[in-house]
Amino acid sequence: MSDNQEKENKQIEQKVEQKKEKKEFKEHLKNADAVYNKYYLILLLIPVILLALTLVYLTYFSYQNGDIIKKDITLTGGTSIQVHTNTDIIKLRSALENKFEDVSVREVSDIITGEQVAFIVETASSPEEVKPFLENYLSIKLNNDNSSVEFTGSALSGSFYNQLRVAILIAFILMALAVFLIFRTFAPSVAVVFAAFSDIVMTIAVIDLLGIKMSTAGIVAILMLIGYSVDTDILLTTRVVKRHEGSVNSRIWSSFKTGITMTLSALSIVIIGLIFTSSFSSIFNQIFTVLAIGLFFDIINTWAFNASFIKWYVERRNK
Amino acid sequence: MNFKFTWKIWILIILIILSLISIINFQSLFSQGVLVKNIELNSTEYQNGLRQGDIITSVNGKEVSNSVEYVSAMSNIFTNNTEPIKLVINTKDKQVVFFSDKIPKITISNIQKTKLKAGLDLQGGARALIKPEQEIDKGQMQDLISIISQRLNTFGISDVVIRPVSDLSGNNYMLIEIAGATPQDLENLIAEQGKFEAKIGNETVFVGGNNDITHVCRDDATCSGIKSCNQYSGGFVCEYAFDIYLSEEAAQKHADITRNLGINASNPNYLDKQIDFYVDDRPTQSLFISKNLKGQVTTQVQVSGSSQGSTRDETIKIAEAEMKTMQTILITGSLPYKLEIVKLDTISPILGQKFTYLILLTGIVGLLAVSIIIFFRYRNVKASLAILFTSFSEVVILLGIAALIKWNLDLPSIVGILVMIGTGVDQQIVILDESKSSSSTSMKEKLKGALFIVVSCFLTVVCSLLPLFWAGAGLLKGFAVTTLIGLTVGVLITRPAFADIIKSFSKE
Repeated sequence: MSDNQEKENKQIEQKVEQKKEKKEFKEHLKNADAVYNKYYLILLLIPVILLALTLVYLTYFSYQNGDIIKKDITLTGGTSIQVHTNTDIIKLRSALENKFEDVSVREVSDIITGEQVAFIVETASSPEEVKPFLENYLSIKLNNDNSSVEFTGSALSGSFYNQLRVAILIAFILMALAVFLIFRTFAPSVAVVFAAFSDIVMTIAVIDLLGIKMSTAGIVAILMLIGYSVDTDILLTTRVVKRHEGSVNSRIWSSFKTGITMTLSALSIVIIGLIFTSSFSSIFNQIFTVLAIGLFFDIINTWAFNASFIKWYVERRNK
Repeated sequence: MNFKFTWKIWILIILIILSLISIINFQSLFSQGVLVKNIELNSTEYQNGLRQGDIITSVNGKEVSNSVEYVSAMSNIFTNNTEPIKLVINTKDKQVVFFSDKIPKITISNIQKTKLKAGLDLQGGARALIKPEQEIDKGQMQDLISIISQRLNTFGISDVVIRPVSDLSGNNYMLIEIAGATPQDLENLIAEQGKFEAKIGNETVFVGGNNDITHVCRDDATCSGIKSCNQYSGGFVCEYAFDIYLSEEAAQKHADITRNLGINASNPNYLDKQIDFYVDDRPTQSLFISKNLKGQVTTQVQVSGSSQGSTRDETIKIAEAEMKTMQTILITGSLPYKLEIVKLDTISPILGQKFTYLILLTGIVGLLAVSIIIFFRYRNVKASLAILFTSFSEVVILLGIAALIKWNLDLPSIVGILVMIGTGVDQQIVILDESKSSSSTSMKEKLKGALFIVVSCFLTVVCSLLPLFWAGAGLLKGFAVTTLIGLTVGVLITRPAFADIIKSFSKE
């Protein structure tokens, strides 16, 4: 046998193999199609059950704590002092806890060197009470060069909270109106709004579970989430409900490929932001944390709930 | 390569160039030195001609190109000496020479290479949100703002923004933002009502403000300054005095009241009642009235006061500060309303630079991560580069607009930019995927479909951010503004251009 012949044979073998693989893949797809067709309503149940559990948890939480979130000083009023110095956080915390109510202390460190560059004390007390104590404890005078002081009066922060709640409500209603305007069909629009609602509620529940106190920035992030989370739902609904080319499953699959790329790239920016900047700024920390959790739930709510619902809706409509 | 530059792509390119022109500060791009950000009005260096906005290029012959060099040059000059030293400061367009025994009290900063304005949370400063204790209307708020600005000006604070803000519940606030160094007594300066009254017995002779007082002497050693300093029970007491000039009306009132007074029995050179000064209804000082002034219409009056401290230097400083406050109150008059500081933040600039660096790093690493994801998904270098280019151009145009409208980039605004990169990329992914879909419709139709999704998403985000313009006294507006500007630029300019770029690629 010559070398050439051997090569040809090998090429033929390869082609046969490739064809076989393609066939297997098609079979596989068919199987996947069948599996999806069989179980998609069960898939739909997962987020619905999750939402029910979330609502039960939040009811319990607000029964225990008087509200569905724990609020930090930007929403309850109080003082935040950031001091640019190195100190033992644990010792400082216990010293502060003996003296003041509702204190939290956290470290600010450089992400690259890992060095502590500052610490932040948050308390419901006024700066006039906390500042002298810290000066005494650290034996340095606190001034504009070595510290930052932020104070929010309780009346103002109370009104902030009320207004931000109203803002969320208005934003949600406006978003819902926009969705109805875009699709002009009832059921798919309701599904989009429902998915956005689940995103928000589930995110708040996880924030509560993690024991994070919410700040004004966190609530702003929730507003952002309202807009952000419907992106993928709009994509899905447009492709599956408004267009008619290909099977429903293939349209869902193509939306999924696009949507998951979108969410993953958004998530990657949010997570990188969280890693790099959150220790420096509580504003960044809150916004990125809320967005990261929200985007994660958006994957579940869009692809398990909304996609299944729309498949059910379109197939029923087409019958 | 047969790349077709459509008009949409041209608009994008032109906007990027315009934005770069708007961002870059060409005047200072090639100049070296440090910028004088704040200078006290009555300081020696001010009197000798140094002004805010000057660019210092050298100090006593030593060139300075940044703030670190300036500080080290100054501390080299002033090590171990108490004698006044001759300072020769060269600025870009003049030379200032004076003698000083301490480092000049000016705030300096590096020259800005860009016209972008960093918010207080990055460059340091103070921010106060102030609410009158009674309901006032917009006109009254304007009056209040002009009095407060005058007060801050009297104190030599110039880099200050005061503006009225109102919120969803219809509350009116005044927002004060002071960049850079802030006076220790900021709180007193802005929130103390500062009602000055001079009374003899129960009768008011004159009050602070333009109606009764025509001129207040300050920054002039012949009629204003520290008169004496003496040791007093373990510490020091310094006395200050300055002249003020009363209006004819107030002087007449003074004459009418003193006419009926008798002579002090134990101190026959003076009248039997004192003139009492009150600030915010608290008595501050009582002075004897010379018997020669009885019934006299005199327009020139000396106001005096005293301060205590532990060391002589410290007491002089306190007395000077108190005198300045008193002068300010007399010049500007009292605030018409009692004010409450509902929020007061003083932010140190120290961590700002480190933080700016981390934000840039986040932006760059974020974009890198996204491009890796895009590359793995599409295995197409050109498309990935196009996405990167479009995202980058969106940020440039957004910053260009921010520089143009002098928008302060505070932390919420910056989060807005980072988040916007995320949404921007998302929508480009939609466009790319729609264009690649295997459906039989034409490329034009596909892109039209993609832009439908993009515009729909834009609409919902706008809806969700609109309430932020009013909620929370506008303190969170930055986030909404940058995100909305960014998204609008995206929908109107960059994404249509991106669609054309993709179209061009697909034709090749």
